[in-house]
Amino acid sequence: MTAAAPGARARRSPLLPMLAVAVVAVLLYLPLMVWANYGPAARSLASGADLGCPTALACATQLRNPVLPSPGQLAGGFGALSLPPTSPLSAPYNAVVTGGETLLGLALAVVVGLGLAVLLVASRSFERSTLPWLVASQTVPIVAIAPMLAVLLGQYGVQGFLPKAIIAAFIAFFPIAVGMSRGLRSPDALQLDLMHTYSASAGQTFRLLRFPASLPYLFTALKVAATAALVGSIVAEISTISFSGLGKMLAENSRASDTIALWIIMVYGAVLGVALVGLIGLIERVATPWKART
Amino acid sequence: MTVTARLDAPRRASPLGPLALAAGVAGLLSLCLLLARLPAAPSSGLPWLLGVLALLLVGAYGVRWIAGGEGRAAHVLPAAFTLLLGVLAAEALLRAYAVPPGLIPTPSLVLGSLWEARTVLLQDTLYTFGLEGLLGFLLGTVAGLLLALLVVRFRFLELGLLPYAALFSSIPIVALAPVIVKAVGLEWPSKTVVVAVTVLFPVVVGAVRGLQSALPMHLDLMHTYAASPAQTFREVRVPTALPFVFNALKVGSTLALISAIVAEFFGTDGHGLGFRIQIEVGRFNLSVVWAAIVLSSIVGIAFFGLINLLERRFVVTGRNA
Repeated sequence: MTAAAPGARARRSPLLPMLAVAVVAVLLYLPLMVWANYGPAARSLASGADLGCPTALACATQLRNPVLPSPGQLAGGFGALSLPPTSPLSAPYNAVVTGGETLLGLALAVVVGLGLAVLLVASRSFERSTLPWLVASQTVPIVAIAPMLAVLLGQYGVQGFLPKAIIAAFIAFFPIAVGMSRGLRSPDALQLDLMHTYSASAGQTFRLLRFPASLPYLFTALKVAATAALVGSIVAEISTISFSGLGKMLAENSRASDTIALWIIMVYGAVLGVALVGLIGLIERVATPWKART
Repeated sequence: MTVTARLDAPRRASPLGPLALAAGVAGLLSLCLLLARLPAAPSSGLPWLLGVLALLLVGAYGVRWIAGGEGRAAHVLPAAFTLLLGVLAAEALLRAYAVPPGLIPTPSLVLGSLWEARTVLLQDTLYTFGLEGLLGFLLGTVAGLLLALLVVRFRFLELGLLPYAALFSSIPIVALAPVIVKAVGLEWPSKTVVVAVTVLFPVVVGAVRGLQSALPMHLDLMHTYAASPAQTFREVRVPTALPFVFNALKVGSTLALISAIVAEFFGTDGHGLGFRIQIEVGRFNLSVVWAAIVLSSIVGIAFFGLINLLERRFVVTGRNA
């Protein structure tokens, strides 16, 4: 809590502390896991099931359907689910499918969000009459709308990849629209006056000043939107008829109560989320080189 | 500060504004009534579509007139009238094209089932919002603030824990929910945990950033006053952190209800809005589904509004003055 100079604080590698926190987390997890699984193990032993292990304590780490999986089970499940990475049943393949849907959804959301942002900035009556409903649309549980939207889109021949991308876009457009409108308003009076003295048209001011100024805001918003869009495409996969994607795997394994597979899919979902945010960061560096130094 | 050229100058003096608004609303309303009176759906929807579009344009002109004004009415009424016009137009179009209620129910059907199923839906809302959403939100916020204090106090934890917070916050809720429901059980506590976890990470990240954003000049000033660390914390760090914390809480407030509903999809003991939505979608009883969605949206907006109100009460604005 001391007010040290920021330069002095910044030069320590986070690797060692991260490792220490991870070790502590694993050490806390192990007894929790055994404790959580002990009850079910004891119960199935008492009911006369042959679990292939002598005591409930020994069985706690190798239940077929554990409450919390043991690290060994997770490692085994990880191999089983990801080893032929090109197989349509493997988690990496399905993660790539979901990632593609999410990216397409994000692209759609940028187009819609940019259009909305321009309208929001240009017209106060548009802002006043629609912004409350844009905010409200974010509290709508899209999960519920997804199956209906899919049926509706199916009626008009939109199938496969696109319904998921549209649902992802529906979640992602709002942070983008709000971020972009903030960005489009970010040039200050001095900069706008300068454009005015150059007798720049409104279009030129937009292209040369407002749009570039809004890009950093766009990318910040995109990073928020990416995780949300990922949720959207997974939910869309769960609630529509789909043959691939993490959502399909989740729905199948949730129905089959395969706890270990659910954990592996969660890890893949997290990795996919991190990868998407990383990808956007990469694009940001290319698109806004004037900010690259920071 | 803004020198922005607005496309729309206030046009208060024009008498056309109120007239257009009244004409738009009344026209759409009479279209709906006319369609409801018709014995069968019209053979062609196109003339109705053109009529609806024309009336919408007229109404939009009227909405623009109210929005041009100043004061409280100009902030509330445009949105209200936009909703009214949109709902009436949807009702007219759905009736004109005879869309089956199993595909999209008309707004009047939705309102009807909202009224008919009110006791069940209100119970579900109470269950989902009160037990799962609100409780989880409070738990997540308290845990997040405590964690943030630890992270700010101990540099080691900032290096070791914060990267994981970023990692965890990128786990999609839908992937997290089934794991937690399987581990904690089908009853409401599992959903509360899901909500708490989704709220936790934005709060940790926001609060840490806020607590660290105190200006060195302000801290130096407190130092020259010989203020104790506790005083500095109370007088400088907490006020500067509050806007960041409230931003995180706003994000969390919209996430809370949605993640409670999503979590209910992966197993419940037969209560809650998520359960209701899932059951009624299966029965193609879509008007009840939309009624549940409307109700959850109202609760979500009210919750967001409450956080906004608290922010106005507690956050001292004008820091950049």
